[in-house]
Amino acid sequence: MMFRPFRRATQVGVFCLMFVVPVLNLYEIYSITGTFYAINVGGLGISDPVVILQAIFASGDLTLPILSAAIFPILLALLFGRIWCGWMCPYHLLSDAAFFLRKGIRAKFAAGGKIESFVVPNSFKANVFRFGFLVVGTMAAGVAGIPILNYFNAPGTVSTEVMILVKERCVSIEIGFIIILVCLELVFFPRFWCRLFCPTGSLISLFRNRFTLGVGAGLKPPRTPCCKENYCSNICPMGLAPFKEGNNLLCTNCGRCIDACRTHRLRFVGFQRDDV
Amino acid sequence: MALCIRCNRCLEVCPYSSIKREGIGLTIGTPYVLAEAKACYLCMACCRLCPTGALDRELRHPDQARMGRAKIDTSLCYSHLFLEHDVLPRNSGEKIGAMCNTCYNVCPLQDKAIVLEKNLYPVILDGCVGCGICVERCPTRPKRAINVSPSGMGRVDEAGFYFRKARGHYDATIDPEIVAESKVLKGEKLLEKKSTIAGPNEQPEFKFPYDTPKALEGWE
Repeated sequence: MMFRPFRRATQVGVFCLMFVVPVLNLYEIYSITGTFYAINVGGLGISDPVVILQAIFASGDLTLPILSAAIFPILLALLFGRIWCGWMCPYHLLSDAAFFLRKGIRAKFAAGGKIESFVVPNSFKANVFRFGFLVVGTMAAGVAGIPILNYFNAPGTVSTEVMILVKERCVSIEIGFIIILVCLELVFFPRFWCRLFCPTGSLISLFRNRFTLGVGAGLKPPRTPCCKENYCSNICPMGLAPFKEGNNLLCTNCGRCIDACRTHRLRFVGFQRDDV
Repeated sequence: MALCIRCNRCLEVCPYSSIKREGIGLTIGTPYVLAEAKACYLCMACCRLCPTGALDRELRHPDQARMGRAKIDTSLCYSHLFLEHDVLPRNSGEKIGAMCNTCYNVCPLQDKAIVLEKNLYPVILDGCVGCGICVERCPTRPKRAINVSPSGMGRVDEAGFYFRKARGHYDATIDPEIVAESKVLKGEKLLEKKSTIAGPNEQPEFKFPYDTPKALEGWE
């Protein structure tokens, strides 16, 4: 089974949802309101867990309504890992587009066929870096009393800009942040935001456990690539080697490696008490 | 402020676009109501939608809101001027002020937030929530005779953000053409004019609200 069409459909669907919600609100249909900072679907409040973390640290009080809004995304992360990033996040779709363009440009002008290397190739270092960014940002929010990391929330910013565009027919200065990110990914550092910075991705990846859906390669995962082309590692947007690092916190469960695997050894595993 | 996660849901549901977003700065993207620029019509849609409680969810009725308090500038208010200058000279031909009381008529919390003292001129009470509808409707130009100072920011020097916003709003309402037409000299031009006054024979140009008689009858 190919996951790619389903994933793209979900991504595009979520992207369109960003436009649909403000339009509905313009017609005073308030059953679904909000942006990807915090959205309300038929009375069920869903907030970005990082945003909730920020609010708790910045305000210094812990109230039930705030916490309850984070339950749904945490539940999703406990069951499906970073599925928000790979399958829904509107910024990830832009990042995919930037990567696709970059690949096309490189194939045309630079030495074609050469495999792209990421900024911090080591997945452990990348994890340490992004968790460091999350911790520092959260502490800064606590010190300043302002949810600072919200200013670096790419999906939230994208959806807010879309909402303003629909509602007021203009964009605010923060669209510059997204443009800068996309340009940087296009020109210098492919995929750097999702791998090294994104606070939302960092926080929700912390909920990955043995029960969570993940990529596995059977009972005895190989230590070296099974095929000499190393399809899965080359296609992984997070720079992982899926045949042995399927459980890495960076993994977004996008399913690209499973699609790419010619030997059909890689598949989604999870929802089992004991490790496969 | 600390609880606000700038999800902008309040801005999204506001049917009157009263809620704006802050621009560049540390508070970038934070929604605010500047009652001076666009009044809040107290529909209370935003309060129950706030996901973190930065806006109090318990607020249901317009009179529970507390955004600020209106203040009447008695030197500009038509009603106050009308009463004060009721004994102007009969020959003025032009009467200052009017029995306007627009602010009283448009107030959504009439007789709670604003009353007509002696049925003549408006006075703000403690029930005022600072919605700014009166500011929007006040007929005086370019400066309104009624203004809202956001609560907790009574002093101009403390008001900071809101004061800067309000000042920018006033600057935008002042029409440069009107200023140019009124021939009021300022700054360098005023200094230049003063330095060219030759002697005591030159008369300054005063603008009187009534015609100055060229000659008095019966005096020859």
